[in-house]
Amino acid sequence: MAAFLGAPVASMAQADLQGIWQADGTASLDVEKYVDPPGEKIPYRADALAKREANFQNSKTADTVNKCFLPGVPRITLLPMPFQIFQSSNFVIFVYQYAHAYRTIPLDGGRHLDGVDFWNGDSRGHWEGSTLVVDVADFNDQTWLDASGSYHSDAMHVVERYTRTGPGTLRYEATIDDPKIFTRAWKISIPLKLNTDKNARLMEYECDAAGKGSR
Amino acid sequence: MRRGREGKSMRLALACLLICAGVCCNIYGQSLFGIGKRGPDKPGPVRRMPDGKPDLEGYWISQAGGAPYGVEAHPSIPGSFGGPTIVIDPPDGKIPYQGWAKAKQQDLLLHHMYDEPEAHCLQSGVPHQMWTQFGFQILQPNGYVLMLWEFMHGNRVIPLDGRPHIAASTKLTQGDSVGHWDGDTLVIDTTNLKDNTWFDSTGNFHSDQEHVVERLMPVDSDTINYQATIEDRRVYYRKWTVAFPIWRNPDPHYEQMEFACREGNVDLEHYTDKGGK
Repeated sequence: MAAFLGAPVASMAQADLQGIWQADGTASLDVEKYVDPPGEKIPYRADALAKREANFQNSKTADTVNKCFLPGVPRITLLPMPFQIFQSSNFVIFVYQYAHAYRTIPLDGGRHLDGVDFWNGDSRGHWEGSTLVVDVADFNDQTWLDASGSYHSDAMHVVERYTRTGPGTLRYEATIDDPKIFTRAWKISIPLKLNTDKNARLMEYECDAAGKGSR
Repeated sequence: MRRGREGKSMRLALACLLICAGVCCNIYGQSLFGIGKRGPDKPGPVRRMPDGKPDLEGYWISQAGGAPYGVEAHPSIPGSFGGPTIVIDPPDGKIPYQGWAKAKQQDLLLHHMYDEPEAHCLQSGVPHQMWTQFGFQILQPNGYVLMLWEFMHGNRVIPLDGRPHIAASTKLTQGDSVGHWDGDTLVIDTTNLKDNTWFDSTGNFHSDQEHVVERLMPVDSDTINYQATIEDRRVYYRKWTVAFPIWRNPDPHYEQMEFACREGNVDLEHYTDKGGK
């Protein structure tokens, strides 16, 4: 078993992604600005675009991130607050400051679960060279992709790619496929920045309607 | 949870969540989530990491009896199992409250159950998180011990690099934990705790001066003996200690599921219906 506590992660055939990261930019507000290649629009089906505008008009009450609900993927990565990546022998783990959410990404080659859906989907990972690839399926249709009302159905399938690009940078790419909402798969690309303070830790971001979470 | 019978378990977990997250789940926890179950094989020796430290990675279930409902000894009531105290010191098994604080606990229990923090989907705090139901996963990434609970997706990130605690003015629901190995014992020191959590569903509480020292003592491949000593001079007249074993989940195919809470929470209505507000 490739356990490596106390050994440098570099000794594994994996990139070292450990650290506290945060999306650079404003993708959580408007994910369309981060479509790759730049300048392209999100390929909404003709009958699906109007709902984005309606969502935006109602976002104060309809955007569940304002209630600290689990935000789905890729939005959870784009939020303007940090998350921490951990690498263990059989898992990559993301712990988010937002609503004490976490995702465990098994690397054992297991398949997605059948017949269930989740706010954050079901994540399964593998390495392609030095890139961590996370395949996410089994979403519900309740989460949005950004604060501008971009949305998806329960048929969404996301493939995330995490690639270390420098000592303090990581490229986050997510390919989003959802034939009920989009005419084709499309991709976003967003830089993540590392918090280089060696004593840095995640804080807590909680909110709930009764005000108990943030008191 | 587990592949293969996840459909049934999911529905039950969801029913638990939607009906009454704080109390009723004890029933399901006892019967369906593996409390009191051992695997078919005899435990082996403590597993080791390459550097010789104990390897605690895997899924675990605290054997804390009725503690999710009440830390002290309590009889069975509708919706929850009774059980003995998990307090081993003082010897009488009671939390050593100062007089005013015991009165406050009774007032919380009798008149303020609507304020039960878990009913508001908060994490459980430290050490309460250790005896919440449904089990948890331990991971040992380089430089850390991670603990991830299914319940309320609670989590603890425990650095082992010898760093100091954060500034005393910063308070967190889960506090600030730092850990180190003392031989085979994982010692975790936790400060910076907010006063917004209880120890159970019976109003047992602490202040933001709480200081917790936990010891996780691996006994064999499938058993960790757990102890936590709690000091809070504002609330108790002396330190007190809880203890219980933690058993490895015997299901080799176990996976934890997503536990959404705010997303479908009607627990507060449950309390309001009972006139608890």
